[in-house]
Amino acid sequence: MLKMVVCIKQVPMVSELPWDPATGTLQRDLAEGMMNPACRSALDAALRIKETEGGEITAITMGPPMAEEVLREAIALGADRGVLLTDRKMAGADTSVTSHTLARAIEKACPGFDLVLCGFSTSDSETAQVGPQLAEELDIPGVAYVDEIEVSEGAVRMRRISDHFLETLEMDLPGIVTVTAGLYAPRHVPLGGLQAAFAAANIVSLDAAAVGLDPEWIGAKGSATKIRNVYSPTAGKKNIVLTGAPKRIVEQLFERFDDKIGGAIGKDLKTDKNSK
Amino acid sequence: MIAKKRGIWVFGDYRNYFQNRVTLQLLSRAKDLATKIDAEVCAVVFGHQVDEWVGEYIAHGAEKIYLTDHPQLAVYSMETYTLLMERLARQEKPEIILVGATAFGREFAPRVAKRLGTGLTADCIGLDIDKEGLLLQMAPSFGGNLVAEIVTPERRPQMATVRPGTFQEIPHDYIRTGEVVKVPLPEHLPVDRVRLVRLERCPQREQKLEDARVVVCGGRGLGSKKKFAKLFELAELLGGEVGATRPVVYADWAEHEALVGQAGKPIRPQILFSFGISGAIQHTAACNDAKFIIAVNKNPNAAMMKRADVAIMADASQICNALIQELKRRIR
Amino acid sequence: MDFNPCMKHKVVRKAVRMFAEAELGPIAHDIDRDARFPREVVEKMRPLNFFGLQAPTAYGGAEMDTISYAIVIEEISRISAAVGLCLTVHNSVGIYPIVRFGTEEQKKRFLPAMTGGERIGAFCLTEANAGSDAGGVETVAVRDGNDYVINGTKIFVTNGGVCGTALIFAVTDTQNPQRSAGVFIVEKGNPGFAVGEIEDLCGMRANPVSSLFLEECRVPETNLLGCPGDGLKIGLATLDAGRIGIAAQALGLAQAAFEDSVRYSKERQQFKKAISSFQTIQNYLADMATEIDAARLLLYRACAVRDAGRPFGAEAAMAKLYCSATATRVTNTAVQIHGGYGYSKEYDVERYFRDAKVTEIYEGTSEVQRMVISRAVLARRT
Repeated sequence: MLKMVVCIKQVPMVSELPWDPATGTLQRDLAEGMMNPACRSALDAALRIKETEGGEITAITMGPPMAEEVLREAIALGADRGVLLTDRKMAGADTSVTSHTLARAIEKACPGFDLVLCGFSTSDSETAQVGPQLAEELDIPGVAYVDEIEVSEGAVRMRRISDHFLETLEMDLPGIVTVTAGLYAPRHVPLGGLQAAFAAANIVSLDAAAVGLDPEWIGAKGSATKIRNVYSPTAGKKNIVLTGAPKRIVEQLFERFDDKIGGAIGKDLKTDKNSK
Repeated sequence: MIAKKRGIWVFGDYRNYFQNRVTLQLLSRAKDLATKIDAEVCAVVFGHQVDEWVGEYIAHGAEKIYLTDHPQLAVYSMETYTLLMERLARQEKPEIILVGATAFGREFAPRVAKRLGTGLTADCIGLDIDKEGLLLQMAPSFGGNLVAEIVTPERRPQMATVRPGTFQEIPHDYIRTGEVVKVPLPEHLPVDRVRLVRLERCPQREQKLEDARVVVCGGRGLGSKKKFAKLFELAELLGGEVGATRPVVYADWAEHEALVGQAGKPIRPQILFSFGISGAIQHTAACNDAKFIIAVNKNPNAAMMKRADVAIMADASQICNALIQELKRRIR
Repeated sequence: MDFNPCMKHKVVRKAVRMFAEAELGPIAHDIDRDARFPREVVEKMRPLNFFGLQAPTAYGGAEMDTISYAIVIEEISRISAAVGLCLTVHNSVGIYPIVRFGTEEQKKRFLPAMTGGERIGAFCLTEANAGSDAGGVETVAVRDGNDYVINGTKIFVTNGGVCGTALIFAVTDTQNPQRSAGVFIVEKGNPGFAVGEIEDLCGMRANPVSSLFLEECRVPETNLLGCPGDGLKIGLATLDAGRIGIAAQALGLAQAAFEDSVRYSKERQQFKKAISSFQTIQNYLADMATEIDAARLLLYRACAVRDAGRPFGAEAAMAKLYCSATATRVTNTAVQIHGGYGYSKEYDVERYFRDAKVTEIYEGTSEVQRMVISRAVLARRT
């Protein structure tokens, strides 16, 4: 039976950043969490494979206790079980440490796995690094940015567009793919599934000790990169504000920017040649 | 014995050379960084019959080229290149490795970083050297709404991937010379576990919106389908393309092809006119590369207004009409 | 007493909110303007159990607890109260009476099509001469062999224009209307069952409210819920359940109006300041926030009492009374805060304002709710 593992991250649910201009920091704790959209696509891909080839899906997430929400959602959508990796010591991990933690947990909780699926990147950090690094940690073949995927007879066939090349690739299982958001339109969560997901208790919680991780190699402690400073590039941006009657505004706009606009469209917009 | 100079390496991503200038851009930046820490700029090239690119890299600033030329490397191979870079880096111990954030680079760099047990910052929009001599890596997150300054204090090499277009290449100078160090292919290379079954060039898809120099984007603030339709007239006068936000596409004011956003198309115009758009992250993330933004909205605090270079506080539809009138007057 | 939402309720809220914002958000304004029932969104809702929220899983339902149910209705109504209305009427007064009072055979026959959203439910009580006075019902069902033949006209039927399964409140003995009333299940397609013109209403315009005509409409006696004479009992129990849904719908409206008001007051500048810095506006927002919180707590308390299996009629009446009054007050204030723009269809608050009023009228007017509450109060032993 095909054993699939889907890595899911809970990211802040923000359409507007809860940016605190006073302290210059992101109020992460104010934001509700949601399943990272690309991870949703990865789950979708796994569900499609399960529908055609059969198999079992384990959803795994690393985060604070509230990350359990995305596991319940994943089960509501069709995953069979969930693994919550949670431990204060894991906080502040960079991608290399995250991939190490996930890899050991996958080996512990899903021994004999066939296929690991991840979203190609997350909507908050957007590094797209965990997938490839997970391939290294697990020492299995991996392909990133997969647009289409098919599994049959112990091998995976994938298609993707990579740097203007259309590639068709194959690899044997076990392997890992990161999935793009493009092809698979994410499904909505069925409410009956959600109800059942909360009624059934098939989520396992693991901390660093349970996975057998060395505290020196996880979390902020184990991370090679350090964030010195975070700022909003638009905060305090001095932009030009125009108000008033539309005609007057447009006049002002051309007064100051006729060259710029003219340059962009390749035409001379000066009014010297026209009579007012 | 002269102490060996520290190395700032740039991975030679020569595929699609004429469209993909990121290696040259990185070489240029590497030269600036090198003067600050007294290092030498090297390019790393794996391939077959790649002398042309080697010459180009030297002409564009590389002082040294590490080259592995072998028929087995005629096509990019992730696992093989990762192994070659790992071995080379362990041997030569560079201070910094920079990789262009092409699709290949974004997958290659994290693997190399993992093998070398070092940190990596993705998609940098800026690189500098701080007063302690560390590589200062500026990376965006949250769709470009935030920028983080990151350093790798202890592990080496310091690694970063950089978006194409972030830096300017220096003009080629064929007088420049550089040393070419031939690195032999290791004897027992493991077989790549990912097999390339077919490789085709992408049919040149027309990317009118993505490549447009001027984009006129409209959102719900325009008020109605009829008012949105005026954008087409404006775009035509400007020789530009029309883009739309997700709610507008949903309300059937515009086609899905016009969607500008994370689920649609990214744009990088010289000028972006943004009409009646509040500026949800999913949309603004796709507008990050616009050079100059003129936004029109009744609400001065809308995210798009904050982000714009010129924020016009007025009714979007009225300004659109006024612009059309004014352009008709000026363009004879 | 833990007043924090549990994880399940948070996740349900987020899931429904994402669905509502993605699928209904872009069209909410237009379906109200055009009085168009959004069939395409209903199609997307069907496989997600929106049409079988509390029904038992054996009949295709999601078997959700009542607070989860209230959250679903609130979140849909927050974007489109008309669609929220469709769902609550279908679930609470369409499906629920069959679940509670139906025989096993009736449940098997009628429920699967309803929980899957294939047939939308409607409860038909109101007539030209029977509004709050249910005793004034003139629709008659006459026994004829093993059938009943129904004649009468029902008005203001929510979901009327799209309903597939209608529950008709009719009297079987005109001499004894109160004691002889029954609830009959009539499916669309049954001869003698016809939908009248869609009403042109002030609000809830995307819901096809219409009249239903029953002309020599013949149904087998197995379509009668319970026994002859049970009609009043079934009607009252149904309205109790329906109240919770309407209260949730009203809450969603109030919440939407409140959120828009907060956002607008931060953006709108007058006298060189955001209007949110003026004490009058701050007072408005404080009152709105407090009322909505109170309404929400009343609603969830009624839900909890229902799920605990205890009589919840008075609690549900309190919730409906207070939530609908809050919706009317909050949406009114919201328009005021938006000033001239609030009166324009360019902003959503005028729609919330128009939609809110009817929550104080249908499924038991506020006057009737007060009757229910005062009876309970006076009946209590002190």
